[in-house]
Amino acid sequence: MKANSFLGAWNGFFFAKQSPIPLALFRLAYGTVVISTLFLLHADWISWYGPNAWVRLSTIGTMEPGPRLNLFTVIPQSDLWVRILFWVFLVSAVCLASGLLTRVNSIVVFACLASIQQRNLLILHGGDTFLRVAGFFLMFAPAGSALSLDRLIRIWRGKEGVEIRPHRPWAQRMIQFELALLYFAGFCSKIEGGSWVQGTALYYVYHLDELQRFPIPSWFFHPVILKLGTWFALALEFSMGVLIWIKELRYPLLAVGVLFHLSLEYSLNIPMFQWDVLSAYILFVDPVDLTRFWNWIRTRAGRYFGEQMNVIYDGASERRLRIVNMLRAIDILGRLSFADLRDSPARLDAARQDAQNQLLVSTSSGLRRGRDGLRALARVVPLLWPLAILLRIQQLWTPRIATSTKAG
Amino acid sequence: MKNWKYVAINIFLIFHILAISTWCLPMTNPFVQVCRFAVRPYFVWTGLFQSWDMFSPQPETTNAYLEAIVLYQDGSTKIWSFPRMDLLSLNERYHKERYRKFVEVLLDGKNSVLWPDVARHVARLPGIREGNPKKILLLARWSTIVYQDDGTFTRSPLDEDVFYRYDVEPGDLQ
Repeated sequence: MKANSFLGAWNGFFFAKQSPIPLALFRLAYGTVVISTLFLLHADWISWYGPNAWVRLSTIGTMEPGPRLNLFTVIPQSDLWVRILFWVFLVSAVCLASGLLTRVNSIVVFACLASIQQRNLLILHGGDTFLRVAGFFLMFAPAGSALSLDRLIRIWRGKEGVEIRPHRPWAQRMIQFELALLYFAGFCSKIEGGSWVQGTALYYVYHLDELQRFPIPSWFFHPVILKLGTWFALALEFSMGVLIWIKELRYPLLAVGVLFHLSLEYSLNIPMFQWDVLSAYILFVDPVDLTRFWNWIRTRAGRYFGEQMNVIYDGASERRLRIVNMLRAIDILGRLSFADLRDSPARLDAARQDAQNQLLVSTSSGLRRGRDGLRALARVVPLLWPLAILLRIQQLWTPRIATSTKAG
Repeated sequence: MKNWKYVAINIFLIFHILAISTWCLPMTNPFVQVCRFAVRPYFVWTGLFQSWDMFSPQPETTNAYLEAIVLYQDGSTKIWSFPRMDLLSLNERYHKERYRKFVEVLLDGKNSVLWPDVARHVARLPGIREGNPKKILLLARWSTIVYQDDGTFTRSPLDEDVFYRYDVEPGDLQ
């Protein structure tokens, strides 16, 4: 009986299908922190990883023997090749964040990330390690199944509908496991040290000159506050490692964790560490709550993005149906409604002729079609704003071209 | 899900949960040691090795800095300092923090294998290489944070030690 219930819980935890939106948001955050890390390192790419870097490749090999996934051992040893590797890494991280060829790019990002860390293990902090181990499990996750260009391409090709399909979250669970372990192992390691138990650890941390960042109020250095702060950090690490798995405690703990990391980001100069860790918090949020939260944002923020528009289309045309599905997928603020000519023939009779050839956009100022309609849509759908800019530029240029042609 | 796929994923999950836990939790049990030894090649190759010991078991209790004394062929000297976070602007220190970590690692005697590379790199730096350096001395400066019960901050006087000397070879500068 007990074995059965354990098996049931195991299967429920790792294999019960759920919305991949938290995972997709994590992918976005993960890609962003990887890109930021690369930008922060940019001035020192060659100093840390070049053939004449601070530490040579052969020295790292002596120090840390054994075969490793390290692309630096494969590429020719020149500054040019090191730069090429970094640019490939950067482009791949951008593609991963935007969900283009997600699986391939998650593999490329992991291989490059593991390589730069293996090439120089001496300058890493816990956040880098977390990115590496999370990146390993991200390769196995359906990270491109929501909020991705891959999904839009699948919709365009007719391979997927507008509804986001649920997936088995086992790879996502492993990233969650890693995050919880980061805290719990940190807690176990700290309680072995006297200063954490005595409550003096933060005194030392905040008097390390090179770690200081923004000014800290003097009351923080009162011995009682420092002791409480030290023990609070211990308690939080334990809770984030163990109690985070209890559903009722999860959100309060995540909220305290966010505040804790933001306070560290303010006070200590450990670039990207806090963001690396915080990026994975989203994985602990229930997809149902995420949807509820997003709907709340939608109803409040949506009205600031202009009037709601009705897109009229002919559902008999497969091409137009695909465009409409694409619009549905990218209309994250719910600014559009859709009307199929076949469903409401009487009401849309006037538009029938036009809509058989193109999409029509019904606005308060009347029906718009073609490029004009696209421009109207691009204004109210945030993900189409780049298109709105392009159309605006085109609109500004077209009369000039026409004028110059006439003059010629 | 197909049966074989379900079994394969479960093996993958169980293996990784056990292996990662035994790898990074501070346990001294002989069985755990055997497990760590067994998974080491796989963890090292894939990059799954991990340790979560920031500021633990004890945070650093010294402020330590690293400088290089450059002795040139013509007898002149120059002191080159590694980027010191407390002397940089907020923006610069966010970009250059890796140097702080690097210095922390270098000042650990266990990592002496790194010192020749570092001295060689200093000799090759723009502004130093052109002067034809003959010798590089690595100098550590440090002061200990002295805990005060009333919360005030005191530090011991700055101490220093030349812990490595490197004779620059002509090939180092090419």
